[in-house]
Amino acid sequence: MSGCPGSRTMDFSEKTNQEGNDSGKRPSQLRQWPIQMHLVSPQAPYFQGKDVLLAADCAAFALGDFHKDYLKGKSIGIACPKLDSDQEVYVEKIKSLIDDAKINTLTVIIMQVPCCFGLAQIAKEGAEKASRKIPVKQVVVGLEGNILSEEWI
Amino acid sequence: MDKVLNKEIKQIIDTYPEVGRILDEYGIGCVPCSVGSCLLKDVVGIHNLDPQQEATLMYRIEKAIYPERNVSEPKVDLTKKSAPKKISYSPPVKKLVDEHVLIKRLLALIPSIVEYVETSIKVDKDLVLKCVDFIRTYADKYHHMKEEDILFKYVDDKAEIIQVMFKDHDIGRGHIRQVVEGAEKGNKAQIKEHILAYRDLLTQHIKKEDEILYPWIDRQLSVTQVGEMFRKCNEADASVGDELPRKYERFIVELEEKFLQEVTK
Ligand SMILES: [Fe+2]
Ligand SMILES: [Fe+2]
Repeated sequence: MSGCPGSRTMDFSEKTNQEGNDSGKRPSQLRQWPIQMHLVSPQAPYFQGKDVLLAADCAAFALGDFHKDYLKGKSIGIACPKLDSDQEVYVEKIKSLIDDAKINTLTVIIMQVPCCFGLAQIAKEGAEKASRKIPVKQVVVGLEGNILSEEWI
Repeated sequence: MDKVLNKEIKQIIDTYPEVGRILDEYGIGCVPCSVGSCLLKDVVGIHNLDPQQEATLMYRIEKAIYPERNVSEPKVDLTKKSAPKKISYSPPVKKLVDEHVLIKRLLALIPSIVEYVETSIKVDKDLVLKCVDFIRTYADKYHHMKEEDILFKYVDDKAEIIQVMFKDHDIGRGHIRQVVEGAEKGNKAQIKEHILAYRDLLTQHIKKEDEILYPWIDRQLSVTQVGEMFRKCNEADASVGDELPRKYERFIVELEEKFLQEVTK
């Protein structure tokens, strides 16, 4: 057990405890474009007064029901706190989403690896800088797509 | 058993007092409740016990009501001790919980205030009325109104548990009217009786809200509703201004200085 847990190789291909089923179709709940945090603008109409999801890039791949349980009804921005550059811009955008787009709530959804908590930090900083106050929620996703915690911060 | 689940809790406890004792063991304090019209199934549901605890509780209740029945005991894995649940409130609800803290600080001082009133030659009307002002303005207008006008609206406000809360608020207002009358007439016994009754009532009431009602409401709120409620509560606070909570906080600090020092003297 050494090295960065964020990039340590793990293989769950033998996993058999699969609940749920593959029948039926799940429609996409995405209602906007673009979605990457450098590309989105807080002025975009899809953010105004909305519940916003700030998702770590990996989260949507890990969570089986990402669309149904988390994206539905929300606008989204995605980012990677480990690899993206110019992350100060993200803090400013969060601040602007709160103050200018007057979003209703912010939900940050991150992976359990330590480096991912940087995204929650960005959200917190942006929220602290904003003059409006809104509820901010943090959801932590396990590597195998389980929800480890979900709480207001 | 289904029939029993749909019965009012007070009826059940009156007929089978043992059930009240069992509920009490699980931290479900229905026995002293002033209304008691919640249905047994709602009472159990509202407390959000873990599935193992709930199964054992239901088994024991069924045994207490139908001792002759052959009910099979649920298998409980004693090695799996359930971790004590930490309550995580949503931000608007957390704000209400924080307001309880200031109210509880006044409640804690009430016995000393009563002693002071009893031992002074003439009733310190000014002090009693200042406490009444805190209760009427901060606890009732500022805090209870947010509960009644905003929070309770997010659930069915005809639900029994909400009706109990409304009733507690009303009974409290009645006690405070009596305290004012006592202060006007210089009637120490009247002040004592009703301020102590108010203290007991509110202590239980706040405990019910912090531990049962608020978490129950929080579990039903969507993220969108949490945001909306947060905004409404902030607007309600803004309409009275920042100075109001600060003023009453200062009042409590002064009161604590007066009465807590007297205790240590
Ligand atoms: Fe209340
Ligand atoms: Fe309350």
